[in-house]
Amino acid sequence: MLPSLGNCALWLSLFFAILQFIISNKNYNLKYTSISVFGLLITSLLSFFVLIYSHIISDFSVLNVYQNSHTTKPILYKISGVWGNHEGSMLLWIIVLTFFNYFIFKLLNKKNLIFVLKTLKIQAFISIGFILFTILTSNPFERISPIQENGLGFNPILQDPALAIHPPFLYIGYVGLSAVFSLSVATLSLNNNEKIVWYNYMKPFVATAWSFLTLGIALGSIWAYYELGWGGWWFWDPVENASFMPWLLATALLHSLIIVEKRKSLQAWVLLLAILSFLLSVLGTFLVRSGILTSVHTFALDPSRGMYILTFTALLGVYSLTLFGIKSKNFLDKNYFTLFSKEGSILVNNILMTVACAVVFLGTTYPLIIEVLTKNKISVGEPYYNSTVIPIAIPAILIMGIGPILSWSEDKKIKFFKKILPSIFLTIAMTVFIFLIYESYSIIGIAGIILSFWIISNNFFVLIKKNNKNPISMIIAHMGIGLLIFGITGSTVWQKEKINRMKINENTKIENYNIFFEKISEVKESNYVAIRGNFLVYDNDQNIIALLEPENRYYPVTKNFTTEASIHTNLFRDLYIVLGEGNLDEGWIVRIYHNPLVIWIWIGALIIFIGGIISINNNIKKLKILNK
Amino acid sequence: MKIQLAKVPVVIFLSILLVFFYLLTIDRNPSKIPSNLLNKNVPYFETKNLIKDEIFISKKEFGKEVILVNFFATWCEPCRNEHRYIKNFATKKKLKIIGINYKDNPNKTKKWLEELGNPYSDIPLDKKGEIAIDWGVYGIPETFIVNSKGIIKYRHVGPVTEKIYKEIDLLINKIE
Repeated sequence: MLPSLGNCALWLSLFFAILQFIISNKNYNLKYTSISVFGLLITSLLSFFVLIYSHIISDFSVLNVYQNSHTTKPILYKISGVWGNHEGSMLLWIIVLTFFNYFIFKLLNKKNLIFVLKTLKIQAFISIGFILFTILTSNPFERISPIQENGLGFNPILQDPALAIHPPFLYIGYVGLSAVFSLSVATLSLNNNEKIVWYNYMKPFVATAWSFLTLGIALGSIWAYYELGWGGWWFWDPVENASFMPWLLATALLHSLIIVEKRKSLQAWVLLLAILSFLLSVLGTFLVRSGILTSVHTFALDPSRGMYILTFTALLGVYSLTLFGIKSKNFLDKNYFTLFSKEGSILVNNILMTVACAVVFLGTTYPLIIEVLTKNKISVGEPYYNSTVIPIAIPAILIMGIGPILSWSEDKKIKFFKKILPSIFLTIAMTVFIFLIYESYSIIGIAGIILSFWIISNNFFVLIKKNNKNPISMIIAHMGIGLLIFGITGSTVWQKEKINRMKINENTKIENYNIFFEKISEVKESNYVAIRGNFLVYDNDQNIIALLEPENRYYPVTKNFTTEASIHTNLFRDLYIVLGEGNLDEGWIVRIYHNPLVIWIWIGALIIFIGGIISINNNIKKLKILNK
Repeated sequence: MKIQLAKVPVVIFLSILLVFFYLLTIDRNPSKIPSNLLNKNVPYFETKNLIKDEIFISKKEFGKEVILVNFFATWCEPCRNEHRYIKNFATKKKLKIIGINYKDNPNKTKKWLEELGNPYSDIPLDKKGEIAIDWGVYGIPETFIVNSKGIIKYRHVGPVTEKIYKEIDLLINKIE
């Protein structure tokens, strides 16, 4: 009964989206627009909650619940299981879409009528596309008959707290870019006499999308680190790339919007960036879900779905980019500026971000293009990305350090040098200090540490300066980036790995720690059984530091084995133990990692997010004043 | 920005989409990789043998019986996972298995095999990865079946799983 209601609500939301598309026009009464916006929001929310409810009560008459759930699953994963599969995740996507639709609608007033209505029209078109896609190819309310006794279960590697909130954050990022896209297309389609401060409208949406994308990617990374048990947190998987590319463009977009605001420069470029970042988000979704590329995120492979998303992307892309081709000349300007200024530094960073994005895009799609042209299959892996992205990132980070210190318009070089002198000293001092602690020297390590302290100390001096004109959100976010680089460098350059076979009561050493294999025990939980190893970690003075309990789990419902790494974290390093296969007589294979500074990656990402949130708040305030 | 330049994005976008459309319409399985070597002779190679003192010469070994060829390395985690299936082929199916040790350290390999058991009758060392190039190896582990005439009849990329194990098991009875 209830699932039919959900299905019905989904169809109704399609109706409201179509209604909004038709009547978002100044010839119609605004009352209808508001009915359609609210209708869309409420019906899509309703269908989403019905699906959540079906998952919670384990209604196995619903195919989606049957395929992805099981009665023994903890409640948290019953709920997160809703978006842990293709159909449910599309519903989440639609919800986020309708929320952004609503936020755009809230901006509507007499002054910006034409502009916001145009935006709503495009947003409605995007909604129609995704709702139709869900109904036609991936309806989560499809029934199964006869009613099944129990479900097939939920992929155990997805049963993880970080992964429960990873998709919502990521989708707010991706879909937030849809609002940016709509605003950009609406701007391009305005007539010359209807010009508006579109960039002020765009900024809060870009800041939102970017902040949530940042944290969403970090959460995915945390999951990979804790759950996959490979000891790393980034693997250049096509899906990671699919989220990294829009992030790079959104970063460029966020910064160039500042130039547009201050100097009315680069307008055409920013409008293009806005379009491309959303197109890349959709294209990323397509790559992952069509089965064209295989990755850990590959949901059920279905060419008809791929065909639909691709056709829809083609429609969006051809329309928006052709519009750009025709109308962008209206947004060309002659407001030049010198390179040695704040706007100059932002521009250079913009170019670097875009090039990095192109490089990742090339790496991700190159195997496909080669396959089409030559029928050969090749793969592009980590070495490619490391040797192309890092050289682009280094100058970008160097410039990022001085950006906040440079003044608008133009800076005197000698005066500027005096300004950065303290941070140069602080950077050198901190770098030397770090190397005295870790006593490990490699060029990449030195470069990474210098870069991270370069950013941190520059922002530190900006922060303590009297009459500081830089927004606090920027300083916080940049500090976060500094810490992120610190963590990335430490954990990649100084990672130590030890794999050996250990019997009970045996010892092994890694770095300054002695690890004692105390015992092995069997554990039984509602949804899995496991063997658990007890490892005592001693430091050099024979004090017990930690008890680590890695597990080897077996999920009987889905017949999956998973390894649960056990990790002891502090501000300096992670100790990471994974239990492999083995038995009492021969011992177990034990993999131990000493990963320095990993926690700073997550702290950095969180601080960036906080900076982003403050910036969203500031930009909304600015827009409200403007809208009055 | 010139007006012509503004049209570049749409052109690039369309060409990329065309590639994707084409890939969607043709019948392909991304994890199934066609091998140019299927139904061809085993590529010739000679190299050190980890467990025998003599040099391993491919001509001498292939062409007498059905042989399973497994590319593996100790640093490759999936190789560890598939190892029990490879052992099953040796013990239960009595198959001759040649394990080509890819870009590895011989001492580590010896230890690894002591730990996990050795199903291989010969272990030619491919220190520089050149043999793998000749075989068109995409990523290890990879497994091939060579028939008794020395012709490659089957290739699987990635670790052998329960499903693949059964698939190979069925195939072996058909290959002579």
